[in-house]
Amino acid sequence: MFGVLSQVLVSGISLGTIYGLIAFGYQLTYVTSRTVNFGQGEALAAGALVGLSLVPFVGFWAMIPLVVTFGGLYGLVIEKIAVAPSLKSKSEGWILATIAVGIIVKNVAQNIWGREDLPFPSPLPTTPIQIGSAFIMPAEIMIIAASLALMALVEVFNRFTLLGQAFAATADDREAAGLMAIDTGKVIAGSFALSCAIAAYAGVLIAPITLTGAEMGLVLALKGFAAGVLGGLSSGLGAVVGGLIIGLAEATTAFYISTGYKEVPGLLILLAALAFKPEGLFGKVLPQKV
Amino acid sequence: MSQATALTLAAFAAFTGLALIPFALHNPYYVHMITLVLVFAIVLFGLDLIVGYVGEISLGHFGLFAIGAYTAGLLVVKAGMPLPLALIAAGVLTAIFGACLAFPALRTSGPYFAMVTLAFGTIALVVLNEWADLTEGARGLAAPKPAIAGLKLDASRFYWMVCGLFVAAWFVVGRIVASPYGRAFQALQGSVIAADSVGVSGVGYKILAFTVSAAFTGLAGGLYIFSEEYVTPQSFNFEMTIVFLLALIVGGRRNRLGALLGATLAVWLPNLLGDIATFRSMAIASTLILLGIALWKLVKGGFRWTDWIPSLVSLGVAVLSFRLATMTEQRLTIFGLILLGAIVYLPEGIVGSISAFIGAHRGAGKIAQAGSADRVDLLLPRTMAAASLTLHDVTVRFGGLDAVRRLTTCVEPGTVHGLIGPNGAGKSTVINTLTGLYKPDEGTIALGDTLLASAHMVDIARLGVARTFQNVQLFGQMTVLQNVLVGRHRSYRSNLLDVMLATARFRREEVEQTERARQLLGFVGLGEQADQDARSLPYGKQRLLEIARALATEPRILLLDEPAAGLNPLEIADLVEILRKIRASGVTMLLIEHHMDVIMALSDRITVLDFGERIAEGRPGDVVADPRVIEAYLGSAAAA
Repeated sequence: MFGVLSQVLVSGISLGTIYGLIAFGYQLTYVTSRTVNFGQGEALAAGALVGLSLVPFVGFWAMIPLVVTFGGLYGLVIEKIAVAPSLKSKSEGWILATIAVGIIVKNVAQNIWGREDLPFPSPLPTTPIQIGSAFIMPAEIMIIAASLALMALVEVFNRFTLLGQAFAATADDREAAGLMAIDTGKVIAGSFALSCAIAAYAGVLIAPITLTGAEMGLVLALKGFAAGVLGGLSSGLGAVVGGLIIGLAEATTAFYISTGYKEVPGLLILLAALAFKPEGLFGKVLPQKV
Repeated sequence: MSQATALTLAAFAAFTGLALIPFALHNPYYVHMITLVLVFAIVLFGLDLIVGYVGEISLGHFGLFAIGAYTAGLLVVKAGMPLPLALIAAGVLTAIFGACLAFPALRTSGPYFAMVTLAFGTIALVVLNEWADLTEGARGLAAPKPAIAGLKLDASRFYWMVCGLFVAAWFVVGRIVASPYGRAFQALQGSVIAADSVGVSGVGYKILAFTVSAAFTGLAGGLYIFSEEYVTPQSFNFEMTIVFLLALIVGGRRNRLGALLGATLAVWLPNLLGDIATFRSMAIASTLILLGIALWKLVKGGFRWTDWIPSLVSLGVAVLSFRLATMTEQRLTIFGLILLGAIVYLPEGIVGSISAFIGAHRGAGKIAQAGSADRVDLLLPRTMAAASLTLHDVTVRFGGLDAVRRLTTCVEPGTVHGLIGPNGAGKSTVINTLTGLYKPDEGTIALGDTLLASAHMVDIARLGVARTFQNVQLFGQMTVLQNVLVGRHRSYRSNLLDVMLATARFRREEVEQTERARQLLGFVGLGEQADQDARSLPYGKQRLLEIARALATEPRILLLDEPAAGLNPLEIADLVEILRKIRASGVTMLLIEHHMDVIMALSDRITVLDFGERIAEGRPGDVVADPRVIEAYLGSAAAA
């Protein structure tokens, strides 16, 4: 009994950190521009598929920086095509525009890599490690460690580098940051690059324990968004906590109710969070100004 | 023949033509396609209420569509319910789901709203898939067309039924959007706070919009399952939502013809992708058309490389189509490109752009009749007695800062009370607190004997507190007249049923209220601009329009937050004249202003705030001579 519980716990935590990582990607663009990439799931899938094709040539570890670079370029393109024009005209067109770019990418990926899900070679042994009564896959440990490491790295970047301070300033007040000679357009483009790079990175991390395919991203991205909203789209800690809550809810549902329903709790949490606490667990409420 | 008669005749001819289609087309395949167009058009009518009027992106209508389809299908197939009843049940049940979905979507907008709706749709599909005992799950549900009253529905008879419902939906939706309900929906797009401030509940109308939208979508879902005769949960997916949105945006929002055109596109496009020969010629044709447009822009406006992107992309697609045997696999790419192109180059959609083009070439519309009454009380019957507004020890805190501290004052009925103070003194906070946008942390606010401090914005507005905004909050996409009509919203007694059936009561009220609104516009000197978009007004006139909209609610007290800010001296003189007339009509006013000449010319009493505290109050002459006031504005003698 205890063994089962700890198994559910382990799998919930590793899923949860991935959701937290994806949520983190949403936050980066949300704070700088109040926009998110609705094609984030496709960025994740594209990262995983590009990684899959690179592994035979460069190996797993060298593939990661290449995929992150690919994700960054992908983010710049999305921002340029789909987001920047809408920000200029202050319209909500970016929601549909990022979806449009997303489905184009998905379609191209389907035509390159096919419609079947592909196995992703794991760099680590596939024999589970026993910790107490729980068995944990080495890949799951890697997910947890690598996700937390990247989030810590981005936090350090935001807090301690000048560029990071420019991000923070733009997040706080885009107009005032612009007056302080910060090129907020570039900051927003940079946040999209970072955001998609994180999504691509999340894609190659999760690929070894799931399967890889053009369709893999949609639900992952939706649950990542749920994690971000639950934690509050302005809080890094919130992303992790939100991700863990949703990951654990999902693992519990999958084990005790049915795997068919495993997507439901995360989405219900999203609906409930927005109905009762739209600013999220760690978000701040600002007074409206008119 | 008047324009209205011509339109009615044209509509009648078009609908007769629609009804005759099965006689002209003997191929049931085409009849089925046209049936599907009409079904999708009903969905788009519903979706347009959210996307076009409320102004939010719903990614969840595929879920509502699926719920409608499964409800009608299961009721007929498993419970043996007659089709008409099952369709009604589909509409009603989906409407209930829509209302529930509106709940988490209420306090959110933009990306949050879109994700909420997507999450809802995803959950609906998971449940339909997993609850196999009821829905047959992934095996799918077969739903052959049933008989109605012993009469077997073949493709043509089913088509006529759909056609009848489509025509009914066409009229119902047309009436709703042209009514106070449609205006309230569209007001939410402009400013929820402003809607609340005239007593039109943003929350209530968002729920209503979702409910009505879901009802249409559910009804269409019920028709869809019997049109297709077999569905699985996978028939409804994210791609379907993309197709709906694509259709609506390309066709044109806030326009029924646009929805019909979009629905045609949504049905025709997938077929076109399967027919490579036609696709190739269409791709060439669209490349040529887009090149023509780019050339025309080159001649008219000089070279901009962005003008050439659509034609280059189209050329690329055409080249690709000649290298491939089928375009079906490229479906999503084509959808994505069309969607992107429409967002960037055709934001008003095909029908919207054409009507804008025709409108521009026909010249500006008729000049409206300007009203001429000098006093508002002649325009609007007083329904509520004037009352005093009293604040007692009101404190409002933001974090550790007291924006307003222990403010006590009284605005006497029928007077103009000035509220002045340096920037940051807390003047706007006072108005925001009086109207319920902020809750006071301490103290009481009363209008007559009614306590306001814990009431919601909408209820405060309904008690007779009207306001204007320091940063103008108009319903920009609506006409000047419609803005004032939103202010008249609470004067209508007609309900949604009156509107849908266009009863005599509703038609009479609409005429009366439109007349009232025009008179109010005449009163503030905007009579001639009544039919312009509010956002196209010059800034000074936008401020006057806010005053007209606030007056339209027949307020007992009017709160004006810097009405003269940004106005030139001539406009200020006009404004003072208008405010004088309002005062002469007996409307109590609380006036925040930095222009001292305006304050001095109008105020009976003045309260001066500094750092959230009242530092002086009294008659204008006394207050400006008060040393503490002078110090607050100019600094102390010691510091100078």
